[in-house]
Amino acid sequence: MSPVLLETVLIGIGTYLFRSGSLSLGSRIAWPEGVRTWLSFVTPAVLGALLGPMILMQNNRVISLSHSADLLAALPTCVVAWYTRHLLLTVATGVVCFAVIRYFV
Amino acid sequence: MDTNLNVAKRALKDASPILFAYFPIAVTFGVIATGSGLSFLEVFLISALVYAGGAQFMLVSFIATGESFVATILTTLLVNLRHVLYGTTLGPAFSSWKERRKWAFAFGMTDEVFAVASSRILQNPAVPIYQLPFAGACYLSWLLGTVAGAGIGGIVPAQLSAALSFALPALFLALVFLGKRTFAHFSAALCGAALAILATLFHIGSFGIVLGAVTGATLGFVIQLHRSRTAQNTPTVQSGTPFGE
Repeated sequence: MSPVLLETVLIGIGTYLFRSGSLSLGSRIAWPEGVRTWLSFVTPAVLGALLGPMILMQNNRVISLSHSADLLAALPTCVVAWYTRHLLLTVATGVVCFAVIRYFV
Repeated sequence: MDTNLNVAKRALKDASPILFAYFPIAVTFGVIATGSGLSFLEVFLISALVYAGGAQFMLVSFIATGESFVATILTTLLVNLRHVLYGTTLGPAFSSWKERRKWAFAFGMTDEVFAVASSRILQNPAVPIYQLPFAGACYLSWLLGTVAGAGIGGIVPAQLSAALSFALPALFLALVFLGKRTFAHFSAALCGAALAILATLFHIGSFGIVLGAVTGATLGFVIQLHRSRTAQNTPTVQSGTPFGE
C-alpha cells in the first residue's frame, strides 16, 4: 500500500472511531460538563493554529500585511463569515477576493 | 401521522442547503488534490474514507509538502478530534437506537450534519428513517463533487487552481465564525495561532499545531470558567462586553 493510501486509511479509521465511539458512548453515559466544555475549545484552537502560519507567514517568516494576498483576502472573508454565517458564500468570497488581490498585488 | 416516505422526503429537504454547499467544495477539493499530483483513485478514497472537508484539504497539503507520516496522521486526527464533541453532544438523543444504526449514522456526522442535526433534534426526536437519509444524501453530494472535481482537475488552468488554494483558509475562517462567538472561543483561536507561528519560527511547525490546540483549548476553557464565575458574582460586569455568551 502506498504511503498516501495508508495515511488515508488510518486517518479514515481514526476519524470514524471519534465519531462512532463518541456517539455510542454518549448515548449511554453523560460526560462531565468540564470535559465537554474543554472539547468545545479544541476546534477554534486547532483552526487558529492552522490559520496563523497559513495567513501570516511565508517561507517560515512572518510577513507584512501589504505583501500577503492571503491576509488581505482573509479580511473580507471574515466579514462575510461574521454577517452571513454561510459556509459556501464565505468560501466563494474568499477565493474570489484572493484571485483579485493576487492579480493586482 | 407522518408516513416513512414523508419523513425521508423531509430529511432530504432539510439536507438540501448542505448538499448545495458540499458539492462545489468537494469539486474544489478534487481539483486541488489532483493538481497536487494525487491519482483519481487516491482522491476518491480520501473523500470516501475520511469525509471531513478541512482534514482532507490539510492532508493533501501535507502530502504535497512532504510532511512526515506520523505528523500528517497526528495533526489531521487532532483537527478531527472535535467530532468527539459532536458524538458526545448528540449521544443522548440516540439512546433508543440499535447499536448498528448508531454506527451507521456516526460515519456521516460531519460539522454541518452535526450543526443541523443538533438544532433539529431539539424539535423532533432522532429517528433512523430521518437521520440516515439525511446523512447519506450529504455523503453522496460530497462523493459526487469529488469525482467531478478530480475528473476536471487535469484541465483546470493553473491560475484558477492557484486561486482555489485559498478555499482551505477560507473554509477554516468560515468554521471559526460559524462556531460559538465568545471572547473565550476567539482567545482559544488566537492563542492557537500565536503558538503555531512561534513554533514555525523555531522550526517545529507540526508540533506547533498540537501545542497550539491543547494550550489554546485550555486557555479558552479557563477564560470561560473565570467569566462565568465573575458573572455569577457580579452580573452587571458582563453587560458592557463586546462578546456575549
